[in-house]
Amino acid sequence: MIEIKDLHKSYKMGSNSLHVLKGINFKVEEGELVAIMGSSGSGKSTLLNILGMLDGADSGEYTLDGVPIKNLSETKAAQYRNKFLGFIFQSFNLINYKSALENVALPLYYQKVPRKERQEKAMKYLERVGLKPWADHLPSELSGGQKQRVAIARAMAAEPKVLLADEPTGALDSTTSYEVMDLIQKINDDGNTILVVTHEEDIAHMCKRIVHLKDGVIVEDKKVEQVRAEQYV
Amino acid sequence: MFDRDVWQEIFNTLKTNKLRTFLTGFSVGWAIFILVMLLASVNGMQNGFTGQFNDDATNSIFVRPGTTSKAYGGFEAGRRIQLKNDDLEYIKQSFPEDVEYISARYYANTTARYKSETGSYSVQGTHPDHQAIEKTLVVAGRYINEADIINKAKVAVIGRKVAEDLFKDEDPLGKFVEFNGLPFRVIGIFTDDGDDNAERRIYAPVSTYQRIYGNTNNINMIALTYNPTYDLATSLEFSSRLEDLMKRRHKIDPDDQSGLYIFNYAEAFDNINSFTSVLKAIGIGVGFLILIAGIVGIGNIMVFTIKERTKEIGVRKALGARPSQIVNLVLLESVFITSISGFVGLLFAWMILAAIGPTIQTPAFSDPSVSLSVVVTATIILIIAGVLAGLLPAMKAANVKPIVALSDK
Repeated sequence: MIEIKDLHKSYKMGSNSLHVLKGINFKVEEGELVAIMGSSGSGKSTLLNILGMLDGADSGEYTLDGVPIKNLSETKAAQYRNKFLGFIFQSFNLINYKSALENVALPLYYQKVPRKERQEKAMKYLERVGLKPWADHLPSELSGGQKQRVAIARAMAAEPKVLLADEPTGALDSTTSYEVMDLIQKINDDGNTILVVTHEEDIAHMCKRIVHLKDGVIVEDKKVEQVRAEQYV
Repeated sequence: MFDRDVWQEIFNTLKTNKLRTFLTGFSVGWAIFILVMLLASVNGMQNGFTGQFNDDATNSIFVRPGTTSKAYGGFEAGRRIQLKNDDLEYIKQSFPEDVEYISARYYANTTARYKSETGSYSVQGTHPDHQAIEKTLVVAGRYINEADIINKAKVAVIGRKVAEDLFKDEDPLGKFVEFNGLPFRVIGIFTDDGDDNAERRIYAPVSTYQRIYGNTNNINMIALTYNPTYDLATSLEFSSRLEDLMKRRHKIDPDDQSGLYIFNYAEAFDNINSFTSVLKAIGIGVGFLILIAGIVGIGNIMVFTIKERTKEIGVRKALGARPSQIVNLVLLESVFITSISGFVGLLFAWMILAAIGPTIQTPAFSDPSVSLSVVVTATIILIIAGVLAGLLPAMKAANVKPIVALSDK
């Protein structure tokens, strides 16, 4: 599903440049649930940005579902993001004047799905994250866990190939964190490929595979026994 | 463009920033208000000026004699020029193609009496053509005709004020009124749009008055209108031909400015037209400058709005919004604010003009109003202004990196 070969990325900081990613080789199969771990500055967010086509790599190859991702125009990148990727953010990033339903429907809007169909689909995904009764609520009327579930529904609405979650539990207490992880696990059980960036050990162990990043290189890549979040809920 | 989601977003931003939206909108509305008022004022001035001149035919030329200031053809300077009946005939025969109407004017004053009422009035001895040249409106009876001239009939066409003064409630038509002791029959009453003073005037056949004042052939002035199909250039060319001919006839130096005065209305009219068009240009210029201030205001607020929404725009881009969709959103919002506030300004200006415009009727300023074309132009300007105001901020928004939205730890 995802294949990365010898990925390099550096940032210019005034006169000197900061080498953030120093040759990453990495492969994700369909249906995997991968945790990317590392301390801050290890390059995990940069890697996620490149995977999410929000940033370009300096050198190296990136293939997503057989499509080489290289030299994309803004418009093309927007199309690919819409088609291939679903984002889940630490701070949810819901649009605060849109109801839960409208938030979920937004990626479909950018896919030019007709309004009625959009609403129906969005409702289906809200139901899946257990928030159908809250469909008409604004984000400000929802709890943190509910917001993240709306965000997950939104990420899934466009039926992307890969879900990218950047510290999805970073802003949540542990109980809600486990609820969200339970949801992510269930989505993964349905065959979706998910990448989770986290620095929390227990969250990482709820995935099936952990990739450790340190100073721009992968220092460890291991399959783990998945801890089901269900038992903590 | 008529997408519900887009409008929902626009209304939301406007709703959350009511005061800010109002203040910026106000600057554009105010600018349009001033622009329209300026144009309407120029229009009013133009109406006023045109009204002043409409009294006379706009294709008229007046020939008045003067006193020579240069020696010429054996004559010394300081010679008084006198126009005579022959001059009129001469012009008529020399320019059969150019002259439409022509009439002499013989000026006199008279004390008029009817029964116990007396009054002092100015009399103009004229030909029948004078009615068309002066656009005299005869409301009762008739004007002087050819037979009156030939018969040197003692008839008079009196102004409405004269009729009011002398005859009170009586019908003056057919009555005899004494001018300096001589009985004249009233054959007509006229009105004049120009002013009340014109209605205190009396017209009589020029031949009659020439005989009363010592069998003279003298006339004070020649008034004529030229072929109405002439444009400005042709009319100026005609009046200079006329001037040359009359100067030669009266042996006046061609360069002598004071021997003979030829006044061409077209020239004066042209001056006024260029004057008002300069005013109009200034009005438009000032209006535009004010509008630019308004546009900058809108642009400013859009920059702020986008700064505030950077994160949201980043999220949208992460969700697959194309740059063009972001640009559209911002531009539409900007055009929306500009248009709505501009229309409010336009509406206000229009209402004020509709309410007080018709009541303003001074000689130099009357009925200020704007035409449909001004309204349409203003609308187009507004939409362009909205696009201009939104363009830079929109590009800025489109260039927002989605990373910004992600890296908000």
